[in-house]
Amino acid sequence: MSTIIEIQGLTKKYGSLTALNDLTLTIEEGSVFGFIGPNGAGKTTTMRILTTLLKPTGGKAWVAGHSVADDPRGVRRAIGYMPDFFGVYDDMKVWEYLDFFAACYNVPKSARIGMIDDLLTLVDLNHKKEAYVETLSRGMKQRLCLARTLAHDPQVLILDEPASGLDPRARIEIRELLRELKNMGKTIFFSSHILSEVADICTEIAILEAGNLIAHGDMEEMKKQLRAHRLIQVKILGDLGPLQELLLQHEAVQGITPPGEADLPHDVVQFDFGGNDETLSNLLAQLIAQGIRVVSFHEETGDLEDVFLQVTQGIVN
Amino acid sequence: MTELTTEQPLKKKRFRNLRENPVTVKELRSRMRGRRAFVVLTIYLLVMGAFITLVYAAYASASSGPFGPDPREVGKVVFGCVVGVQVFLVIFVGPAFTSGTITGEKERQTYDLLRTTLLSAESFVTGKLLSALSYVLLLVLAAIPLQSIAFLLGGVVLEELIISQLVIFTAALAFALWGLFCSSAMRSTLGASVMTFAGALFVTIGTPMLVGLFAATLAPFIATLSTSFTRTMEIALQYILIFLAATNLPATLIVSELFLLQEDAIFYFMGSAGTSRFWLPTPWPIFILLYLLLAWVLYWLSVRNVRKIANR
Repeated sequence: MSTIIEIQGLTKKYGSLTALNDLTLTIEEGSVFGFIGPNGAGKTTTMRILTTLLKPTGGKAWVAGHSVADDPRGVRRAIGYMPDFFGVYDDMKVWEYLDFFAACYNVPKSARIGMIDDLLTLVDLNHKKEAYVETLSRGMKQRLCLARTLAHDPQVLILDEPASGLDPRARIEIRELLRELKNMGKTIFFSSHILSEVADICTEIAILEAGNLIAHGDMEEMKKQLRAHRLIQVKILGDLGPLQELLLQHEAVQGITPPGEADLPHDVVQFDFGGNDETLSNLLAQLIAQGIRVVSFHEETGDLEDVFLQVTQGIVN
Repeated sequence: MTELTTEQPLKKKRFRNLRENPVTVKELRSRMRGRRAFVVLTIYLLVMGAFITLVYAAYASASSGPFGPDPREVGKVVFGCVVGVQVFLVIFVGPAFTSGTITGEKERQTYDLLRTTLLSAESFVTGKLLSALSYVLLLVLAAIPLQSIAFLLGGVVLEELIISQLVIFTAALAFALWGLFCSSAMRSTLGASVMTFAGALFVTIGTPMLVGLFAATLAPFIATLSTSFTRTMEIALQYILIFLAATNLPATLIVSELFLLQEDAIFYFMGSAGTSRFWLPTPWPIFILLYLLLAWVLYWLSVRNVRKIANR
């Protein structure tokens, strides 16, 4: 895989406010890159610089080998951009909207008719082809805008909060669409506040706070790196006392959350475990050997929200 | 990956087929869609027709001749009225269309979408200009049959019609580009409209008032000096007056008409200063050159504004 987006020391200042501070990042071709961070973290600023809409104060960036500062036209040919807030031309029909943007991307007239049908099929709006844009729901408009970004078959899609403000069904539709685009080989660089959705489809993530990159890497690796210890939950039958005593004596157990705390059921104990799989297996065997009637013994997988909360400090809110 | 987009040769790209400019197609489609455009055009022509009928009736009732009003004089009045309405259209209606056209995209949050496409700044500005101008020109052209009534009545020569329409078309281009420039420079339609109309009013009414005020203030001083005026100064003053007239649309039309009628001059005529005679141009060719130059500068500035990558 080759690098399709390269950012080196990107900085953006608005007077004394540093919106983006020395951001360095690479994104591989074909990846789905989630850009997460609280409001005002600098996500939109980064995206606006990458889409040639904003001049950086310092640093450089390339998209598909084109410099955003020196070859904006080359960058525009390579990207499809969907901003967080965007308007549509209400007095146009759905097919006219796509035809207009395809023409803006120099797609020949002869190629546009078939292309519009294909795009509408992809975003499941074929039945709305002759409808006016103003009659579409917000979710439909979002899908139409996504179709628009594909009018010139770009290599990279830069999507700023593509699912914001949508109801759960529309969010699922957008997520499925992104999966489809990923399967089509598109590189997707998108920001989101809905962390579970980022976790669902991303191959890589970057976490930004107050203009600084605070974590970046492969989704699963990041979870592992950021969680030095593992959370194990044990459910047993009978008295929990001996279990807790035994766990506290074990050298790899770093702490216990008693039943009833942290939303735990009354028959479940949770503990922080610092050992490897073999030690964990031995612990389970020890519990059983001690006559503790284990019903379930499993590791809690940390989600992206845990990672996010762990690495961010709430500097920007 | 399939390359769908086509890169046209530079020359072809620069002078992209106007008919296929996506912005023009979109704007005209929206503007001419439904009954609105045709209703506006019909009302406009009905009002113009009623206005001309009223002018004719007023002129006829005021006439003291035994055979009614002199048709040639009525023809001139009708012609003057139609030109007056056209002047109003190009000074105020044309810029009204263009002043909100780019800020409208900004306010509608579609501007960024367009700027990340391959649409060049030139194509964008040209498309916006043509779509706004074409509707104004449609209104101007639609009034020509009404103007032709003046020919039936007599009193108006073909040269008057050609000169007036050339001047009006040039002014329409320049004023529309002024609105477009304001729209490209401002963030809101309100700001762009205020700037556009302030500029249009200044050029149309403000400058003649300033010149008049200046002349009235300096008149006593000039009167005392006039005896010592050299011939060269007198000639220069006449050139300056012609040039000043050529900066203003109504003044250009009126002064050109006067020279056409009194001196039978289309392009130039013989002026006099004392005993010497010299060539003086009529204002309309200067007006056309000046306003074309202004239009080109405004077009270039608008393109530059659209092309500029934001700092904020």
